[in-house]
Amino acid sequence: MSAAATMAGSWRQFWQRFNARRSTTVALWTLALIVAATLLVPVFSPYDYSTPAWTRIFTAPTWRGGQLFGTDALGRDLLVRVMWGCRISLLVGLVASLVSVVIGVLWGATAGYLGGRSDALLMRAVDVLYSVPFIPLVIVLNVLFGRHLLLVFAGIGAVSWLDIARIVRGQTLAIRNREYIDAARALGVRAPAMIRRHVIPNLLGIVIVYATLTVPAVILFEALLSFLGLGVQAPLASLGSLVAEGASEMQANPYLLIIPALLLSLIVLCLNHLGDRLRDALDPHEH
Amino acid sequence: MPRYVLRRLLSAIPTLLLIATLAFALLHLTPGGPFDSERSLVPQIQHAIEARYHLDEPVWRQYLRYLSDLARGDLGPSFQYRDTSVNQIIALGLPIDLAVGGCAIGFALLVGGAIGLLAASRPGTCRDRVPMTLSMLGMSVPTFVVAPLLILVFAMRLHWLPAGDWVGGSWRHLLLPALALALPYTAFIARLVRASALEVMGSAYIRTARAKGLGPMAVLLRHALRPTLMPLVSYLGPALAGVLTGSIVIEQVFGLPGIGRFFITGALNRDYTLVMGLTLLYGALIILCNLLVDLCYAWLDPRVRLAQ
Amino acid sequence: MTRPAAAVAWALWALWSLSACAPPDSGSARANLQVGSALAARQELVRAVDAGGMRSLDPSISTDIPAERVLDDIFEGLTRLDQSGQPAPGLATHWETSSDGRTWTFHLRSANWSNGEPIRAADFVYAWRRTVDPRTASDYGQALAAVRNAIDINEGRAAPATLGIEAPDEHTVVVRLNAPTPYLLSLMSKAYTYPQYAPVIRAYGDDWTSPAHIVGNGAFLLRERVIGGRVALTKNPRYWDAAQVRLQKVVYLPLDRAVQTDRFFAGELAFTDSFSAEQTAWLRSRLGDQVVSAPYLGNFVLGVNALLPPFAGNRPLRLALSMALDRETLVRYVRQGLYQPAWTPTPPLPGYQAPVPAWAALPEAQRHALARHYYQQAGYSAQHPLRVELYYPTDTDNRRTYEAVAAMWRSNLGAEVSTYNEEFRVQINQRHLRKLPLFHYAWIGDYPDPYTFLQLFRTGFGYNDGGYSNPRYDVLLARADEESDAARRLALLAEAETLLNDDAACIPIYYYASRHLIKSYVRGWTSNIQDRNLSQYLYLLEHQGN
Repeated sequence: MSAAATMAGSWRQFWQRFNARRSTTVALWTLALIVAATLLVPVFSPYDYSTPAWTRIFTAPTWRGGQLFGTDALGRDLLVRVMWGCRISLLVGLVASLVSVVIGVLWGATAGYLGGRSDALLMRAVDVLYSVPFIPLVIVLNVLFGRHLLLVFAGIGAVSWLDIARIVRGQTLAIRNREYIDAARALGVRAPAMIRRHVIPNLLGIVIVYATLTVPAVILFEALLSFLGLGVQAPLASLGSLVAEGASEMQANPYLLIIPALLLSLIVLCLNHLGDRLRDALDPHEH
Repeated sequence: MPRYVLRRLLSAIPTLLLIATLAFALLHLTPGGPFDSERSLVPQIQHAIEARYHLDEPVWRQYLRYLSDLARGDLGPSFQYRDTSVNQIIALGLPIDLAVGGCAIGFALLVGGAIGLLAASRPGTCRDRVPMTLSMLGMSVPTFVVAPLLILVFAMRLHWLPAGDWVGGSWRHLLLPALALALPYTAFIARLVRASALEVMGSAYIRTARAKGLGPMAVLLRHALRPTLMPLVSYLGPALAGVLTGSIVIEQVFGLPGIGRFFITGALNRDYTLVMGLTLLYGALIILCNLLVDLCYAWLDPRVRLAQ
Repeated sequence: MTRPAAAVAWALWALWSLSACAPPDSGSARANLQVGSALAARQELVRAVDAGGMRSLDPSISTDIPAERVLDDIFEGLTRLDQSGQPAPGLATHWETSSDGRTWTFHLRSANWSNGEPIRAADFVYAWRRTVDPRTASDYGQALAAVRNAIDINEGRAAPATLGIEAPDEHTVVVRLNAPTPYLLSLMSKAYTYPQYAPVIRAYGDDWTSPAHIVGNGAFLLRERVIGGRVALTKNPRYWDAAQVRLQKVVYLPLDRAVQTDRFFAGELAFTDSFSAEQTAWLRSRLGDQVVSAPYLGNFVLGVNALLPPFAGNRPLRLALSMALDRETLVRYVRQGLYQPAWTPTPPLPGYQAPVPAWAALPEAQRHALARHYYQQAGYSAQHPLRVELYYPTDTDNRRTYEAVAAMWRSNLGAEVSTYNEEFRVQINQRHLRKLPLFHYAWIGDYPDPYTFLQLFRTGFGYNDGGYSNPRYDVLLARADEESDAARRLALLAEAETLLNDDAACIPIYYYASRHLIKSYVRGWTSNIQDRNLSQYLYLLEHQGN
């Protein structure tokens, strides 16, 4: 068979395994729907996310006027704000998680594989970075580089890779002495290729699960940063900061909390489900 | 093994020194000083205050002064709470966080681990999917939502438990904060344990055990448990350090006088000494927990060789 | 539709319609609480104060409001605030003023410290010298600026012993001032003028404020103090007026605003120091007149940098921005009617008629037209809009207001003002360095006199972050300093303030209001402009329920 046909074949096989269950289809569609909504709703809605409407503050969700999610403390349409919030949180969640996974896996796999002094050095760097207080770090970054949204991603990614590095290092320590590693070593495979071709693929399962678990943590971390004034600038709001705002209105206007929290949970659930399926589809072991 | 442990502990000292230096540099780079306030009317007052706390000296001299104090175990006076020293603040607040955090992690390990194992024993069934979905929800709902909800239900409606505050030795004041703190960790641990158990269950030696006729639970507990715990143990290292030094949200919502909130308020108020003290505490805990974790690796998986 | 999809869709719809319904009851409605008319058997009050305070209980050093509440209870000065918030005899029974108003003589009553030692005039001298001494490094070192030599001592040019306060005998305190100071009696009720017991301070240093060591002279004793946490006080039997103090125990809990409200509903607190403005209507519907709000001695003002573009030398622009703000709308919708709209920096004070600019009375359409006229005069238009940044310290209340302000400027003028929140210290730092074009510039007054607000615009004043400088203004303030007739002095200050408004030196937005939730069974408190309610006047009536 030609190389292209083999590729197509294995891709189809992968897709079949990935899409095996109905729930996966649901999750994919839900996520697609949410993404489409975040792109389209702000464009087509007559309301925008920052203009106050004094006569309509704190209105509950209603069909009237298309304000399906109601309005907030300044009378701004919650639907549009939540859509913008989703956009930002999805970006932050995915980009920052991706960045932290890439750095973390490389770092941890290298440390775990090399062992000895290199391992100790790399892990000590992780310990040191872990302990450094993050708020002054974020403030300094903000001051040095200005208040760009990208900086928020960078800051979050810079803090999140540490956990993954540690887990990956642990797994690598376990894998390091397995038979296939010995075999590859006997064949003369050098360390970088070893890490790339033999260690990392065997870590994928745990890494994917951890990566999908990182996404909600990252989104909520961004909410904390916004709370402290170090994240997204008003009037823009991320999903996390909308949840935080809603939490303070929990008793008087619960929909301000329920709706963004619901959306957040939905996104996270879908991402997680997809992550699980992805791991199952990629895993060299059969269950 | 004892030599390994000793070596690790000794190497902790330069690590802590590095942490202290980085944190010190970072704090002094951050704009805004501890005594920048609306009330510091004139430079003279500013200078007087700074002179009292040696902030007018060149940075390297302040650094050396800090190190020499540190060598004597003195973490310095707090800049925020001018009547107290950092040592006192930590000594009074840390036990509370240790109590709440210890309970939380204990709960998370037991309950989360059990759920994860149960789910892994019958993957794909209700026993698996329902707890996993719930745990995902548990992780995506933030603590600053869960904690007030718990107070609303258990303290304000049912009046079973107090709404907050801390009374030493009272388990009733410990329960809600520990529960609120434990939930995200429980969810995380459940998922991690399940994923790891499923990985392990797919290995060859497990298949052999099953082929021998052992039931799934027995296989799990007797053969699969140790390797399953590896990623969990990796995760626990820093998680433990984080939980034991307190969560600002829990402390704020329940009104607990722990040290967790000082990580944030200390940084925001530029209380250099307090932040340094907490950073060193946190760093020391991390190093200790990591050492314990690595020792656990060796115990859990005999194929792991720590010293090469 | 597939089954899981249908289930999810149904669940979502159910939740959406649920959340659209009326909010759930908190469980503690008004109907639950029944209040009798006799005194409660247990006179114990639990009060919440705002979190982040209680930094220090040293009267010379402490600057935050929660600590001030505790200090008001455990110490007392020459005057104390009476039940209506006016200065009344405290440790001083009576006083005289010299004819030129620069020398005050206070006569002390016989009273004792909490350890039984008599309070002497020398204790006041010691305390005041300590406050101004640069070695104490007090933030309030210059708060006694009215007293002779205080500034020189604090700036290192004179010795503390030269401070204008003397104790000719054990029961007389003589205060020498630089100029007639009509607000002196208010000043005498502030913590930094309280007497201090020297032996304990000398013996224990920084630790003297711990419950084990502290010696006070107020209505209550400090029994328990957790750093940044709970403070417990019990009644001081040695207090000279102990007979009329009814409370036996007071507990202060520093708590987050939302937590204060929750605990109030749960019945664990009887007196909060705050509540969320957005919840006002909802709280009033559940708690009735337990929701208390009154004008407060503070202003919420936008500072304008007079040294940087675009505002430097551009009076029309400053006026345009100030005129284009719909303050009543802001108060009504953003602050839910709690605050008062402000057109001038000084809040309403007894005896002082703060001048309001004429354009404030114009109907909205006309005012907007006038604003746009000035906007164009300043050189801006729809094609060439104003683009400037506004910086405020991180805080939910601030954020709501400034989001609304920016939106108003956009719709009324077409100006593009972007708002940035800065972490508190960073904003203050940048502000002091005069780097910010538009900045949050709120000020809480130290005493109920216009001068505390107007001094901010004096040339060379350390806190004049806008860099405003007007020689005519400075001259008026200097003349007011020297004026001993109260009415003429206030007239001079009003004239100075008119100058400020004409120049649009700043953009006032609101006057603050105090916000409390107070259980109906707590009595003895009043709404006063400094929002100080000494615990010695409070008492609890017997009550049932929550």
